[in-house]
Amino acid sequence: MTAVLPSDSLAGQAGELAHVASRRDGRRSGTPRVAKHLRDNRTAYLMIAPMVILLSIFVIWPLIYSLYLSGFKISFYKDPEFVGFQFYQYVLESPKFWQSLGVGLAFAAMVVPAGMLIALLIASFIKTLSKRLASFMKTTVYVPAVVSTVVASVLFVFMYQDQGVVNWFLSLINAGPVAWLNNPGTALPAIAVPAIWLGLGITTLIMLAGLLDIPDSYYESAELDGAGFVKRTWYITIPLLKNILLYLFVTGFTAALQMLDLPLVMTNGGPVNATTTPNLFIFNSFRDGTPYSTSFSLTAALLLFVVLGAISVLVFRLINSDKAVDG
Amino acid sequence: MSAPTIARATTAAGVRRARGLRRGDRNRFLKWLGVVLISLSVLFPLAWMAIAGFKGKTEVLRSPFQFFPDMWDPKNYIEIAQDPQFARAMIVTFIGAIIFTALSLAINSMAAYALARLDFAFKRFWWVFCIMPMFIPSMAILLTSFVVVAQLGMLDTMAVLIIPGVASSVQMFFLRQFYLNMPIAVEEAALIDGCSRWQIFLKIFLPQSAAVFVVVGIGSYMAFWNAYVWPILTITNPDLTQIMQFLGNFRSDRGPQWGLLMAGSTLAALPTIVLVLFFQRYIVNGVRISGIK
Repeated sequence: MTAVLPSDSLAGQAGELAHVASRRDGRRSGTPRVAKHLRDNRTAYLMIAPMVILLSIFVIWPLIYSLYLSGFKISFYKDPEFVGFQFYQYVLESPKFWQSLGVGLAFAAMVVPAGMLIALLIASFIKTLSKRLASFMKTTVYVPAVVSTVVASVLFVFMYQDQGVVNWFLSLINAGPVAWLNNPGTALPAIAVPAIWLGLGITTLIMLAGLLDIPDSYYESAELDGAGFVKRTWYITIPLLKNILLYLFVTGFTAALQMLDLPLVMTNGGPVNATTTPNLFIFNSFRDGTPYSTSFSLTAALLLFVVLGAISVLVFRLINSDKAVDG
Repeated sequence: MSAPTIARATTAAGVRRARGLRRGDRNRFLKWLGVVLISLSVLFPLAWMAIAGFKGKTEVLRSPFQFFPDMWDPKNYIEIAQDPQFARAMIVTFIGAIIFTALSLAINSMAAYALARLDFAFKRFWWVFCIMPMFIPSMAILLTSFVVVAQLGMLDTMAVLIIPGVASSVQMFFLRQFYLNMPIAVEEAALIDGCSRWQIFLKIFLPQSAAVFVVVGIGSYMAFWNAYVWPILTITNPDLTQIMQFLGNFRSDRGPQWGLLMAGSTLAALPTIVLVLFFQRYIVNGVRISGIK
């Protein structure tokens, strides 16, 4: 979930925690503990009304409207003209759309595995600490998560300047300077770093919660058998964290694929479209105001939605089914 | 047991204890080293931002490289804080964030209570209806949301920043999860005493929601404070410019005044960081409430 409408961001992160929680509570609280005689239609409808009305106007209606508009040619001068699936064909035949999808996938491939690996290492480390040190570390690691993507963007642009601190570190080992954001080869990895940094806190906390659920006795007996950290992680932690890892992988993947703010502020898609993620491509084609750009960008957004929706549904089914191993 | 055996046993134990101590010391040292290294690298960018805010125009980017400023001069911080546009953006965004948070807590907690504790017609349908937006990628509705608010004449108002995001499936889900776990006995007792559902919600559930409201409320506050894409689409009036909009456009508006920009970014990042540090205990508890520990 990228923070586009002001409702996601940390709320999204809290929700991610809640997802994991619900997976656990699911079996217990599948049937809400409400007595039948307490049925109360009027109050209930009054209570859900504001939410239902707002969601209808600002989520459901825009979605239907998108579907509707994607079938029409819209211009200021003429009445909308129905064109069926023509725009879907345009988008699917547009090399820039596919290029942006490639950029999005490459970006996700840089951000998600690296982010999860770092988070797993930090979480494993925090688990070994005393209570006070652990709570200090949890807060420290969480701090970047509350920094806005815009602040992170301008900050990293500053750090990537020719005379900036990143090139100074490089000069200490006699390398560089690198024009990080002006070079098509380095621009995307350079944007991936702040993305990992921003996501680290929440990923670490979720993993830590999962780690704490694994009984210590497993590790103790493994240690007695002489298994080192790598072996314990590979044979105990990863299999038992399977659900959480899968969940983090998919939410991280869909979020990375939808990244908009970082490339928008840091490079605006350049150099030569090397950082034009799918959402940035859609956003920019919406704003560039060429004929039919509205319908075109809406259609691209819907096609992306189909892909992402399919991934999400698939994975949430996987997680909610109890097939996966449980500790 | 003969004397020599005992002696040998004690020395062996002694040796083991001594070695254990040494190993314990080394472990403790390694742990501290890990804590320091991880904290430093995670917090470095933020520290760097704050340090750059203290640097003069010629120091902030120069070769040869300079890590710390010659003089810790808060000039940039004072200048940006007195900048009318920056100050206005901070205040306007703050007011918006407070209203947004209050409204979203009210609306989402009401719906969460009804969906968790009440039984009503078509409940399952409304549950799916309220939770479905969680699975809709924001880009799929962003553009038409813009068209919709434009048609409603909401562009360039505070309302366009606040209203569209107030109802949040994610928050409602989180709050409902919390309400599901409240014991039913209290509720039943209150009903027997003749309380209405509204009274139960307002007098029993809300007072117990403080901790979860802090977590969810900080989420709302941050979502509003950190919003960028929605404001740049819908706000062109300089009087309503949001703080992230101001910072995001700073380089194109005013050129590369890095010291000033870093000072402004530091000031803009501070409120959320302070909030989290201040309520850190609640956030940890909030995570525990949700069943994660």
